[in-house]
Amino acid sequence: MISFDFEYYRPDTAAEAAEIYQVLSGAGKNPLYYGGGTEIITMAQSNQLKPGAIIDIKQIPECNVFEVRNDEILIGACLNLNQAAEGNLFPLLSKTARGIADHGSRDKITIGGNICGKLIYREGVLPFLVADGEVVISGQNGAAARPLSEVFSQTMQLRPGEFITQLKVKRSYASVAFFSQKKTKQAKVDYPLLTVAALRQGDDLRVAFSGLCTFPFRSVNIEQDLNSRDLSWESRVNNALGRLPGPVLNDLRGSAAYRLFVLSGALRDMLTQLKGVGENVSNA
Amino acid sequence: MGAVGTGVPRKEAKDKVTGNIKFVGDYISPGLMHARLVTGTYAHALLKNIQTAAAWRVPGVKAIVTGKDCSFLTGAYLEDRPPLAADKVRYYGEPVALVVADSELAAKQGAEEVRIEYEPLPAVNSVHDALRPGAPRIHENLGEYRRVKPVFPETNSNIADRVKVRKGDMGKGWAGSEITVEASFHLPQSDHVAMETRCVRAEIAPDGRVTIHSSSQAPFVIRKLISRYFLIDTGKITVIVPAVGGSFGGKAAVQLELLAYMASQAVGGRQVKLVNTREQEIISSPGRIGLDAEVRLGATKEGQLMAAEITYLVDGGAYSDIGAVMTKSIAADCTGPYKIDNVQCDALCVYTNHPYTTSYTGFGHASYTFAIERTLDMLAKKLKMDPWQLRRMNAIAPGDTSPTLTGLTTSNLGDTGKCLDRVKQLINWDEGQVVTGQDGKIRAKGLSALWKTSSTPTDARSGAILTFNPDGSLNIGVGAVEIGQGSKTNLAVMAAERLKMDVGKVHVMMEVNTHAHPEHFKTVASMTTFMAGRAVLEACDDIIHQLLSMASIVLRCSPEDLDVAGGRVFLTDNPNMYVDITELVHGYKYENGNSIGGQVIGRGSYIMRHLTEMDPETGKGNVGPGWTVGAEAVEVEFDPGDFTYKMLKAVAVLDAGKVINPRIAQAVVMGRMNMGLSLANREGLIYSGSGVVENASLRDYKIMRFAEQPQYTVEFIETPQIDAPYGARGLGEHGLIGMPAALGNALSAAARVELNQLPLLPETIWSVKEGRP
Repeated sequence: MISFDFEYYRPDTAAEAAEIYQVLSGAGKNPLYYGGGTEIITMAQSNQLKPGAIIDIKQIPECNVFEVRNDEILIGACLNLNQAAEGNLFPLLSKTARGIADHGSRDKITIGGNICGKLIYREGVLPFLVADGEVVISGQNGAAARPLSEVFSQTMQLRPGEFITQLKVKRSYASVAFFSQKKTKQAKVDYPLLTVAALRQGDDLRVAFSGLCTFPFRSVNIEQDLNSRDLSWESRVNNALGRLPGPVLNDLRGSAAYRLFVLSGALRDMLTQLKGVGENVSNA
Repeated sequence: MGAVGTGVPRKEAKDKVTGNIKFVGDYISPGLMHARLVTGTYAHALLKNIQTAAAWRVPGVKAIVTGKDCSFLTGAYLEDRPPLAADKVRYYGEPVALVVADSELAAKQGAEEVRIEYEPLPAVNSVHDALRPGAPRIHENLGEYRRVKPVFPETNSNIADRVKVRKGDMGKGWAGSEITVEASFHLPQSDHVAMETRCVRAEIAPDGRVTIHSSSQAPFVIRKLISRYFLIDTGKITVIVPAVGGSFGGKAAVQLELLAYMASQAVGGRQVKLVNTREQEIISSPGRIGLDAEVRLGATKEGQLMAAEITYLVDGGAYSDIGAVMTKSIAADCTGPYKIDNVQCDALCVYTNHPYTTSYTGFGHASYTFAIERTLDMLAKKLKMDPWQLRRMNAIAPGDTSPTLTGLTTSNLGDTGKCLDRVKQLINWDEGQVVTGQDGKIRAKGLSALWKTSSTPTDARSGAILTFNPDGSLNIGVGAVEIGQGSKTNLAVMAAERLKMDVGKVHVMMEVNTHAHPEHFKTVASMTTFMAGRAVLEACDDIIHQLLSMASIVLRCSPEDLDVAGGRVFLTDNPNMYVDITELVHGYKYENGNSIGGQVIGRGSYIMRHLTEMDPETGKGNVGPGWTVGAEAVEVEFDPGDFTYKMLKAVAVLDAGKVINPRIAQAVVMGRMNMGLSLANREGLIYSGSGVVENASLRDYKIMRFAEQPQYTVEFIETPQIDAPYGARGLGEHGLIGMPAALGNALSAAARVELNQLPLLPETIWSVKEGRP
């Protein structure tokens, strides 16, 4: 049960949504855009979030597309994780999405909501980070596609009133070799100790992580280490472990030391599965 | 007819699977008010001030109750717990205030506005912390608390109770031991996680009659305690249990009922509903004990167990409640089902600043069994002996004595050896305990034997009233609660068997009403089939006697010439001469209108016999009517690369005495096995350094899901207990007891390390392997 009253709006267009936001914000209502609601509802129950109004963007047509247009895969931000997985236009996303929460929750959690959420894991962003994805941001001044690498830094860097309507990746990413692994403390349905999403572009591996630090990330430095073909796998993994962008989480799901152990195992699994062209297996 | 031993579906099955069953929380009525708990946010702190002004300003708030409004202490053995914290809070989540409002929303809003000022005290965060010299005192007035039943709190300490078992001669035991092994163990507290959180409705009528609806295993205890603490005659109190949505021991404790009564009292007796949120369910209401154990075993080179020296430190949390009783129960069965002539066991119920605890399926036995059975595997290793063989040669048998010196017979003890033999076959033990696959994965098996008796009060009792409907069908009224264990169906089966009637014509009332039904001690201890069963059978015999006597007049013969079966009373030598029982059960009426006999009402009762309290110095005593024994095994597939594992198979063989209903028995045992595995492989409360529970939600407190289950095999041996109904032994809890130990033994063998703590997470195995603290 939520203790406070709030207003509910359900605009039909992105422009209308942005306009409602401006009005509510101006009136001091502290509005929030609303996708699947799993975070907003549970956090509001315990008063960790207290929006005066929510703007449900699920009726906005462009938030619900899921198609290949020209050489791009368009993924509406309001697709729920089951739809994103079952439609399977982007297999790395399908696999990663299936690891999030349980089936019932995935019917609610939207891909956009997962990426913009307050929980630190945001595993849904990993496939887009490694696939050089773009994100369509709507706001008062209309919509524009931006490279994710420019607007995602630990969290989505949105200005007040902005929300994401779509994600885009190049169609070619649907057919590259990929790797997605989620490690949990024990239960299959849990937040990650570590989630790794990776793909091979040409001879290079790209990899992004969730659960390791207080934010999801893709690291050019780590990729350089893992792609150092002159080194053994062991050295590559060890070098990568030393280049994490922040302190390793140490919480009730696992100690930092154990997470690093799990990470080194996951990286070895990834290297095994995505061996680069001409990779000398004996290096292992 | 033969109902016993057939797979009669549960009487309440359709109501449950269709969602038609109604629980306490499902009822709303005009004028119903709602209460909400305000709970403490420190594990140990003085309560300096409770500000309620802002809460009073919430529209709809009608009353706010705090510890100042209730002056009594409560407890099952030792009265150490204020229903609402008064001077200080002793665990994180302890109820501090109660807001009563005319809507659930207003109650929640009001509760959020209550401001509490604390002065934090150092928290006692483990049993070892609690026993350290100079440890903070959790109960300053421990020596002054009223003792309701035998319990031995130690003044100026954090010890709520100490139970001693002294059997044989330890000097002799150690002298005869050529090999010794010792180990320590740590098992955290955990939660029952019943699907239905605890819920109560209470009201006080203008003439003072009190009605409590509760999701409870103990309606008659609620009646007793409401009477004791609020000075109301028991006759004016009615407790009703409509249905229980899972309990596992947790709903045997009386907590919210006292609060709901106070809430109703605060609003002039109006009906008030109080329901736990999931978070309150996990921390504010009592959960499962933690246990730290030290076990030292001695044996001859041939493997004969000679001596056991055991210390069990029960983490009972901030209040003793049933924790003290569990400590006794653990001590009484402290060795597991093995013949050991020299035993010294000290079991302490220790106060900590953790949530307080109560009964949980297995009543502490799964915890100590983990310690004993792990030590046995370590001993077997030292002896270079097969762990199965070690258990088999030491299995307790008729002629031996229990740790509390009860003589064991073929009736009061099941056949542990047979259970071990069958488990060995079912788990394919002879294949080898550890088998490494071509993929590098390791398949390993672990064993555990188990036993448990009931530890009820010495005067625990039950009763049954049987009445008939005009169609000749039977109604069974008992005070035992259906908590998913299928007992009410089993009672119907036994009545049908005794009265030789169709079990479809036996109706059981699922609801329990303390005004309508005869008292049943509590629905705990796997004792419903035994105690209520004995009462029902006595009532059936009473009915048979009445039917034969009336029919003998109608049929003009001696009652000895008659028998009852298939809804008729007939001449044994000529079944064609009969009278239908529909003509008898409400009195027999002759053609001219004359009537005889009156209604047939069956009456039966049972009270435990020959039980005694344990001697405070030696533990000597007779704690239960019989031991159910069993053996269990788990097979895992372990990945030595990352220390993850899958549970492939779980096997249980229990000596059921007699299986009353194979389908229910299988389901109950399997459900308990699942709980045991879930406890062992993931559950446990996690505390911060200051004793705050960090995983008080199902996001963070994980239980096993359907897709994570191993393949279960459940079989039964039948060694009848002569004084039990049809020979049936208690069965409700035992499937759980050996599971954590079997899993621990399988993983210890697979990982080649001694895993002596729960839960058995991959990180647990990794850290032991790495030698981390």
